Amino acid sequence: MIIDSKSMESVEEEALLGEESEESEEEHSELSDDELQEAFSKGLLKPGMNVLVDKPKKLVNNVEGMKQCLAGLRKDLPWVERLDLTNPPAEDVIFKAEGKAPTASKGDVNADDDFQREMFFYRQAQATVLEALPLLNKHGISTKRPDDYFAEMAKSDQHMQKIRKKLISKQLILEKSEKAKKLREQRKFGKKVQVEVIQKRQKEKKAMMTAVKKYQKGMTDKLDFLEGDKKTSKDSSQGPKKAVTKKGSNAKRKYKDQKFGFGGKKSGKKWNTKESYNDVSGFRAKVAHAKSGKGGKKGKGGGGGKQNKRPGKSVRKKMKSRS
Amino acid sequence: MSAFKRKRGGQAHVGKKAKKVKFVADGGEAAVEAEQEKRNEGKWTNKERVLIFSSRGINFRTRHLMQDLRTMMPHSKADTKMDRKDKLFVVNEVCEIKNCNKCLFFEAKKKQDLYMWISNSPHGPSAKFLVQNIHTLAELKMTGNCLKGSRPLLSFDPKFDKEPHYALLKELFTQTFSTPRYHPKSQPFVDHVFTFTIADNRIWFRNYQIIEEDASLVEVGPRFVLNLIKVFQGSFGGPTLYENPDFQSPNMHRREIRLAAAARVREKQMVKEMQKMKRTEAKEDLARDVTADVFLTPADEKPVHIQTEAPEPKMVKKNKHKAFKRQRMKMW
Repeated sequence: MIIDSKSMESVEEEALLGEESEESEEEHSELSDDELQEAFSKGLLKPGMNVLVDKPKKLVNNVEGMKQCLAGLRKDLPWVERLDLTNPPAEDVIFKAEGKAPTASKGDVNADDDFQREMFFYRQAQATVLEALPLLNKHGISTKRPDDYFAEMAKSDQHMQKIRKKLISKQLILEKSEKAKKLREQRKFGKKVQVEVIQKRQKEKKAMMTAVKKYQKGMTDKLDFLEGDKKTSKDSSQGPKKAVTKKGSNAKRKYKDQKFGFGGKKSGKKWNTKESYNDVSGFRAKVAHAKSGKGGKKGKGGGGGKQNKRPGKSVRKKMKSRS
Repeated sequence: MSAFKRKRGGQAHVGKKAKKVKFVADGGEAAVEAEQEKRNEGKWTNKERVLIFSSRGINFRTRHLMQDLRTMMPHSKADTKMDRKDKLFVVNEVCEIKNCNKCLFFEAKKKQDLYMWISNSPHGPSAKFLVQNIHTLAELKMTGNCLKGSRPLLSFDPKFDKEPHYALLKELFTQTFSTPRYHPKSQPFVDHVFTFTIADNRIWFRNYQIIEEDASLVEVGPRFVLNLIKVFQGSFGGPTLYENPDFQSPNMHRREIRLAAAARVREKQMVKEMQKMKRTEAKEDLARDVTADVFLTPADEKPVHIQTEAPEPKMVKKNKHKAFKRQRMKMW
């Protein structure tokens, strides 16, 4: 015997909530012994186990009513006012490109597969746009704004800037990670190459040394290894030249550093030290002797003497007044 | 005259006069009709107004969604929050006061669940939905933008034409979401498209911006999912026209999850208890081994032969020396 449990359950819930209504009391009393006895005597209940079973829920689907409602709701507006279109999604270009067969359940998109679902919506919108544009052109409604048409947008410029920044930052992060990966690869590769080069050099050196030793010990008469030597010497001659120039510039650099480095010369550089006092490298004998000998100057004659001799005060004055 | 001028499209009216003259010159009935059409051109005739408001207890996301919808729909009007104590038919009165004929009402329950009512205000049908998966305009992943107040294209799934309740909903959506032509706050361009798709027995709403004429789109606006609960014949009340069999109230959903978790825990406990019982119950000593005579095979009894002498050593080929040694010892 199947008793409708739906009403029973609701009764229990109501009892839990503490609501007391006459209805609930009556239904409660149905479960009491007396009522059950009465029902049994009437023949409603049969002997045996009686199980509470849920009555299948009756759902309202008033098709006629809905159709009537729809008829009442409909407004006969021209398409231009409504701009609505019903269409299945456009063809999936990506799918075709990949050569996959279109999904059998094309109409039934899987709501859990996010990408597929969003692409489905996108394609539906695309199909609508493709269909609607010629219609709009016919009715004289444009979809493109002229460039000088400034109007308020749904999102403020500030917001769009934020969006742009975020996109750019995302791109940058991507690029950085790519660069880092490449660098890592390069370093690995570079390390390998370096190791190889070092090994090669060591090998060559070893070979050269053994060849030289052999020649020294008189084992071989040939001086073939020298050719290799020459080639290497050519390279090595350029090497010391480079070293020399480096040292040369190094000296200049040193002098400059000394003079101007660390904020210039320190005080006291104009005073003599023991070393500078004993330093006679700045002594020019010729100049010194030329200065002491006046007679020598007279002997030489007029023209050449004046290069080293400074004329006296009166002569200088005369020269000055003359010029 | 001043009132005339204040009327919308006053300038156009002046222009129309000139056109009228032209047409009268042509003559005929068709001319009169065309004349009327031309007169109506530039005039806002489709007087559709939508009231968008909510009840108390909504959270920030719902508030932003409402604001976004108001931005998208220039033919919308806002109102203050309705007190939860008032019954739902009060909404109809509010609509009448605001002179609106459609209404989008958001109701928040338990600060968790959001319900949306869409209705045609005075007598028309209404529907109640559960709103899920709300994403607003302000999300940085929505990179598109559109003119504020531009008219949308509406795109519907063909499934909307297959069932009567979906057809009714389609009509409601069309009338509610499409911006009337020549609305004073609207822009004359069409640069975005609303899509309504049915998947998994729910209605998915998306808003895309049209970038190029070849239909390349970028997502703009809010997105949400509507789960239909019921369709009513009247506005915010009246007999039920349709009930969604696949709808499960969020409470029931949460309850199911909790019950499932509880059931799992109970099962684990039960299994543990059973194992405990098995370990602790008294083990009975078996008097007779049942498997004792499994391998007993009937065979003749041989006489018992007790060996008193040690058996002779075997001649192992490997250990030749040992054999020799033993023999040697024997000889000794």
